[in-house]
Amino acid sequence: MIGSIVRKEILENFLSLRFVLSLLLAIMVFTVSGFVFIRKYQQQVQDYSKNTNQSLAYLRGHAERLYWVATLKHEIYRKPKALALCAEGFEKSIPNYFLLSAFSRDYPEIRGRTNALLFGFYDVDWVYIISLFLSFAALIFSYNSCCGERENGTLRLILAGPVPRHKVLLGKYLGLMFMVGVPLLLGILVNLIIVTLSKDVALGGCEWAKILSIGVLSLLYLSIFVLLGMFISSRTSRSVSSMVILLFLWVVLIILVPSSGRVVAKTLRKVPTQARMHRRVTEMEEKWLEDLLAGKYGENAGSTSPNIGECNPPARARGYTALTEARNKITDEHINQITAQVAVGRRFTRISPTEIYRQACETFSGTGIRRFTELRRQISRYQADLKDYVRSRDAEDPNSLHLLYDEMATAEIWRTISHNPVDFSTVPKFQERELALGQSLQLAIWDIGLLALFNLVFFAASFVSFLRYDVR
Amino acid sequence: MIWKIAKKEFLLNLMTFKFAVGVIVCVILMFVFMPVLVNDYEQRLKDYNENVAANEAELRKVKVYKNITPTVYRPPNVLSVFGRGVDEQLDNFEKIDIDQVSGIGTTIIQTNTLLSVFPALDVALIFKIVVSILALLMAYDVISGEKEQGTLKLMLSGTTARHQVLLGKLVAGLMTLIVPVTAAFLVGLLALLPSRMVSLTGVQWFCIALMYFASLVFVAAIFNLGLLLSCLSKSSAISLVFGLFLWLFLASILSNSSAYIASQFRPIDSPDELSGKLKAVTDARKSESDELTKGIKKDGSETVTNALGAFGHTYSALCNKSEMDYRRKLYPVTEPIKIKYVDKLLSLKEMHMNGLIRQKQLAETIAGSSPIVLYEDLMSILAGTNSGGFKQYIDNVRDYRGEVADYIRSKTENFTSTFYFTPCKEGDYERMIEVYYKTVLEAKDKAKKAELYKTVVARFNRMVKETPSLDLQDFPKFTYRPRSITQTLREAIPTLGFLIIAGILFFSFSFVAFLKYDVR
Repeated sequence: MIGSIVRKEILENFLSLRFVLSLLLAIMVFTVSGFVFIRKYQQQVQDYSKNTNQSLAYLRGHAERLYWVATLKHEIYRKPKALALCAEGFEKSIPNYFLLSAFSRDYPEIRGRTNALLFGFYDVDWVYIISLFLSFAALIFSYNSCCGERENGTLRLILAGPVPRHKVLLGKYLGLMFMVGVPLLLGILVNLIIVTLSKDVALGGCEWAKILSIGVLSLLYLSIFVLLGMFISSRTSRSVSSMVILLFLWVVLIILVPSSGRVVAKTLRKVPTQARMHRRVTEMEEKWLEDLLAGKYGENAGSTSPNIGECNPPARARGYTALTEARNKITDEHINQITAQVAVGRRFTRISPTEIYRQACETFSGTGIRRFTELRRQISRYQADLKDYVRSRDAEDPNSLHLLYDEMATAEIWRTISHNPVDFSTVPKFQERELALGQSLQLAIWDIGLLALFNLVFFAASFVSFLRYDVR
Repeated sequence: MIWKIAKKEFLLNLMTFKFAVGVIVCVILMFVFMPVLVNDYEQRLKDYNENVAANEAELRKVKVYKNITPTVYRPPNVLSVFGRGVDEQLDNFEKIDIDQVSGIGTTIIQTNTLLSVFPALDVALIFKIVVSILALLMAYDVISGEKEQGTLKLMLSGTTARHQVLLGKLVAGLMTLIVPVTAAFLVGLLALLPSRMVSLTGVQWFCIALMYFASLVFVAAIFNLGLLLSCLSKSSAISLVFGLFLWLFLASILSNSSAYIASQFRPIDSPDELSGKLKAVTDARKSESDELTKGIKKDGSETVTNALGAFGHTYSALCNKSEMDYRRKLYPVTEPIKIKYVDKLLSLKEMHMNGLIRQKQLAETIAGSSPIVLYEDLMSILAGTNSGGFKQYIDNVRDYRGEVADYIRSKTENFTSTFYFTPCKEGDYERMIEVYYKTVLEAKDKAKKAELYKTVVARFNRMVKETPSLDLQDFPKFTYRPRSITQTLREAIPTLGFLIIAGILFFSFSFVAFLKYDVR
C-alpha cells in the first residue's frame, strides 16, 4: 500500500512546475559550482606548490648551518583540499600562512589571492546549495502535502478507504524524499562528473568515502525540512498559511540564526583588539629589556661582546628564552581568544539544523575553523620536533655551547648552537595529517546525532498531528 | 474608481494572516537585533577611542622627530548598522611611517576577520529578506488569486477598465507595504537614538531618510515583480512557486554565484607578484639612496648610544660629533628619497586595492539584474560603508601622510637639524665620556669598577628619563573627512535609478500581460 502511495506522489509531482524548476536550478547551480571550483582549485594548488617549494628551498639553504635551522624563520602554507568542493568552510577568511622558527611563531596571516571585499559572500559549495536552495525546495514540495490535499478533497477520499493514516504519512514522506532526492543526486552527479573529468582534482578512496558520507548527511538534512513541511502542513487548514509559516521558519533558521552568530559571539565573548595586543607586546618587550639590562637574568646579559670576559651567554640564553616564551604566549593567547569567540557564536547557531549540517560537512571535508585549530596544534607539535632535532644535532658538536635560544646574531658570535651543516633530508618538514574517515565520523558524531534527533522530533510531531488532522 | 479599488484591497490586506505575520516578524526582528547592533557599534567606538588615546599617549613620549610614526584609525560608522558593506572587512588602521607601508599583499587579521564565517547582519538584511518575501506574498495572488476566486470576472464585467483595476491594486499593495517598512524604521530609530554614544549629524539624518526612501522603492519593485508573475499565470499556486524560486535566485544564488565567478574570472595579483613589485620598488629605493649617498662616508670614530623611545623605536640618546656630522649629511639625502618611495608603495597598495574593487564590481555587474542585490548595494552606498567610502578614507590617510612629512621637514629644517635623530646637543656625549673614562677606567679594583659602571649607567638612564619629549602641540591631527552628501548622491543615484527602472519595467510588463489576461 505504501508503495502505491509513494508512486502516486511521485507521478503527481513529476511534471509539476516545482519539480522541473528545482531540478533545472539545482543542475545549473551545481554545474557552475563545479566549473568555478576546478579553476579555483587549479590556481590554489599551483600557488601552494610554488610557495611550499620556495619555502623548502630556503630551508635547504638553512641546513648549511644548524643554528640557521634553529633561528631563521620559514613559512608554512595551508594545503588546498579537494573536498572544499563540498564544504569550503570559509577558509578564505581563515589564516593560511604561518611563519615560524624552532623557537618562535609569528601571528598567522591570510596570504593568497583573497579579496577581503568578497568575505561577506558564501562560496557556492555543496553545503551552500543544499542548505540554502534544496532545503527551500524541500519546503516548497512539502508545504501543501496535507493541507493541499485536504483543500482538493482528495485526502478524505484516500482515508475513506482501508488505508491507515500512518501508512499515508509514510508514503507521502517517502514520495517527497524521492522528489527532493532526485535534484540532489542529479546535481551532485553532474558536479562530480565535471570535477573528475577535469583531471585537476584528485579524489582518492578516502575522499570518495567522505563524499558518500556527506551525501547521506545531506539526505538526513533535507529530510528534516520535508518533515517540517509535513508537520506545519498538518497543523494548518489552508496551504497559504502553511507556506507563510514555513517561509518565516526558513528565513529564521537559515538566514537570521547564522547571521546572528556574529553579534552573539561579540557580545558574549569580548576579545581585545589587535592594536591592544601589539601594545601589550611592546610593553612586555620594554620591561624585558629593562630587566635584562638590570641583571635579572644574570650579570652582563645585555652584552653582545665577543670577548669571553665581557659577556654572559647562559644569562642571555635565559633572558631570550623568557622573551620568546612571553611573545609566543601573547600571540597564542590572542588567537585562542578569537577562535573561542567564534566557537561561542558557532555553538549558538547550532540551534539551526543548517549550522549543524554545515559544521558536520566541514569536519568530513577537513576544512574550516576546526581544521585551523587542529593545524595550529600540529604546527606547534612540529615546532617541538624541530627543536628536539636541533637539540640532538647540537649535542653531537663538542664546539657548541649548547645554549638553545632565539637570537641568531649571538648564536653566530658565541657558537651557542652548532655551526655544523646538517643533512637536509633529516630535517623535520611539516606535513599536515589528514583525518581518516573513522576519525571524521567520531568528531562529527554529535552533529549526526543532532540531525537524526531533529528528524525524529519532526517525524513524531507530524505523526501525532496527522493522526488528529481533520480531513473534512 | 482606482481609489475605491485601492481602499478595498488595502483593508482586505490588513486582515490577512500573511500581513499580520509579516509585520509582527519585521517589528520583532528590528526590536531584537537593533539594540545588539547598536551595542556592537558602541563597543567598536570604545575600542577606537582607546586606540586613539593610546596613540596620543605615545606621541607625548616622543623625543626625536625620526620616531614620529603614529597610527591613524578609521572611526566606526554609525550608519553601518543599516548597511554593513565592507566596513569590518578591511584594515581600519594605518601606520604613518616614511620607511614602509603596511598591508601590501597580506590581509592583516583584524580582530573580526575570523568572524567572517558568520554572514553579516544589518538592517538591510532584514529588509532584503523579510520585507521582500512579504512583498512577494502580498503580490503573488493579486490577479491569479482573484481569478481563482471568481471575483475578477465580476469586477471586470462592470464598467471598470482593466488599467483602473491594476493601478488600484498597485496603490493598495504599496500602501500595505508602507506599514511594515515604516514600522521597522521607527523601531530601529527608537533603538538607535537613546544610545549616548550615538549622535547623528544632519548629513547622516538625510542619508537615513534616503535609506527609507530606497527601502520603499525596493519594496515597490518586488511587489511589481510579484504582480507580473501573478498576471502571467492562471493559478496562484504556480505564481507562488515560481515567485519563491525566483526570489531565492535573486536574493542569494545570483549574488553568491557572481562573487564566486568573479573571484576566479577577474584574477587579482598573487602575493608573489605583489612581493615582486614591492621588492622592485624597495630595490630601486636602495639603489637610488646608495647612489646619492656614495660621497657621504663614516670616518670610523662614530659612536652612538641608543635608548628605547616612543612607538617601539629606539633613538640615539647620545651621539658623538662624528656621528652627528655624518647623520646631518646623510638624512637630508635619504629621507626625501624615502618619502618619494613611500608614495610609490602607496600607489602599489592602491593598485592592488583597485584590483580588489574591480573584482567586486564584476560581481556586482553580473548580479546587478537582481533588485535585491541593487538594494543591498544602495544601502551600503548610502551608509558610506561601500568601497567608495573606504577609498575616501585611504585618500584622507594619504593626505595626512603628506602633512606629517611636511611637519617633520619644517621642524627639522629639511632633516638637517640634529633634533631629527637625537635630543642631545653637541658636546653632551664627550662630557659623558669624560665621566666614564675618568671614573671607570681609572678604577683598579674590579668590584669598584663594576660599581662605578653601574653609577654611569644609572646616570645615563636618568638623563634619558629627564630628556623632555618634543613639544608637539602643533602636530597635525588626523581628521577623518567622510564623503560629502553630493559624492554619496552621485554614487547612489545610478543604483537608485536602476531600482526605480526595474520597478517601472515590471509594472509595464504586468500591465501588458493583464490587458491580455483571460479572466474566466
